[in-house]
Amino acid sequence: MNQAAVKPLTVKSYFHNIYEAVTTVFKGFTITTRYIFAEKPVTIEYPEVREVLPSNSRSRLYNDVENCIACNQCATACPVDCIYIASNRRPKDAPEKKASDGTAIKLDLIQYTIDTALCCYCGLCTTVCPTECLTHTTDHEFSQYTLDGMKYDYLTPEIIAMRDRIVKK
Amino acid sequence: MSYELTPEEKSESPVKEDKIKSDILTVNMGPQHPSTHGVLRVEIKTDSEIVTEAIPHIGYLHRCFEKHAENVDFRGVLPFADRMDYLAAMNMEWGWCLAVEKLLKVEVPRRAEFIRVIVAELNRIASHLMFFGTYSIDLGAFTPFLYAFQEREFILRIFEELSGARLLYNYIWVGGVWNDINDDQLKRISSFVTRMEGEVEKYHNLVGLNKIFVERTANVGIMNEELCFDYGATGPVLRGAGVNWDLRKNRPYGIYPEFDFNIPVGTGEKGTLGDCWDRYWVRMREILESVKIIRQCLDGIESGPVMGKVSKIIKPPKAEIFLRTECPRGELGYHLITDGNKEAYRVKVKSSCFTHVSMLPAVSPGLMIADLVATIGSIDIVLGEVDR
Repeated sequence: MNQAAVKPLTVKSYFHNIYEAVTTVFKGFTITTRYIFAEKPVTIEYPEVREVLPSNSRSRLYNDVENCIACNQCATACPVDCIYIASNRRPKDAPEKKASDGTAIKLDLIQYTIDTALCCYCGLCTTVCPTECLTHTTDHEFSQYTLDGMKYDYLTPEIIAMRDRIVKK
Repeated sequence: MSYELTPEEKSESPVKEDKIKSDILTVNMGPQHPSTHGVLRVEIKTDSEIVTEAIPHIGYLHRCFEKHAENVDFRGVLPFADRMDYLAAMNMEWGWCLAVEKLLKVEVPRRAEFIRVIVAELNRIASHLMFFGTYSIDLGAFTPFLYAFQEREFILRIFEELSGARLLYNYIWVGGVWNDINDDQLKRISSFVTRMEGEVEKYHNLVGLNKIFVERTANVGIMNEELCFDYGATGPVLRGAGVNWDLRKNRPYGIYPEFDFNIPVGTGEKGTLGDCWDRYWVRMREILESVKIIRQCLDGIESGPVMGKVSKIIKPPKAEIFLRTECPRGELGYHLITDGNKEAYRVKVKSSCFTHVSMLPAVSPGLMIADLVATIGSIDIVLGEVDR
């Protein structure tokens, strides 16, 4: 057994305990009382007042499919394998297409899906992206009723339409 | 505090002890219990309110870190390392990066080294603030929790600006850090650490010296030097027992040898050496030491790049390494075996929280249930690190 011996209670220590209890509790009360009057509230009323997230906050991923060259680097870097990419080789007679930074697009994207429920928001995929089309946005309120709703296919028009709203400039 | 009968009392008792029908009751504390700090289940055998045996059952937060680490590349391990000790994720990442850098023989830029120390020490402060808040909740005081979280919020905000995440940062990378720190953030950290010194004094007056708190923690859950050595305890638990051992000082890594700081050890000033109060007070003084280190960092930080030269695909040579770092809860060790591939051959993590949980059966007999709560709180476990 690894316990300490109890000190015997004397008359002196009995009153000393009472004295200590009163003074230390009073000391604590002076600190908490100061918070009532002297300190301003630090909390915000959430749904009405919203905190602005820092610009490099890592929230929902957004892929700008027009600039995506389907290089598959993001899917390789992803530690939880939540990015699904399918692409076709672009026909030779098709007109030349370029991403906004000048990289030639040689593969046609058929599917670009991210399972946002599986994503761990680590940011490894965005740093390897050569055309910087895959970015973390600051949009963090995207709850869904079903798990399937968390799978975003970035080729669908509804998600392409979100671009102006959520992508950082 | 012992509640057992002394031999004299036993002999005076008219009833022979073996004739008394003992009524041992088995109580499950957890897995969903607020004072077990996560999902720890403690099976307690109680004789009325006195604990005769406490068996911790772990594994509810098992995330297969070691198996994951063998199947993803060396950069991909970092998000999993974050999720081990989610309250001190910077320290977890640092250990992994140090191990891989040592294998790759990568030179880390000086500025990155300074930033690493700053974020690791800020994370240590945040973790100890979390301990302070939750420990006072365990012991029935709610207000200190709010004060601690108010300061912790500042640290999380700085980390969010640096890395983009509030808890699971993935900020310290192999070869450096992800993002540079700017002057405005350094200035804010500087004013924060100045404020933090006053805050620690305030917390100590509010909670640490409070008679109720002292009565609840002093002489309770004594983990003395011998017991700590037997089980291999590290960190504030070992230092609370009066042992002067800190890897930052004794086996320095990073640029810690350049800084001047002390190692706070337990003194036993309120009760016995190695009791809950000592562990609390060691952690509070560690905040002050971290403040000291951060201040020296802010004075000495150099300009330059924050990322060293690391190839795109990390392929360390065939080697074996064991590397320890001092995390807020104790020593974290990575045993890493590589075979020249993109993934590690074998990874083993030595976690301090696991050691500390396994000390519970040794200290719990004779405690009241409420004292057991105080003991579990004082060793400050994070179940993510226990189960890994």
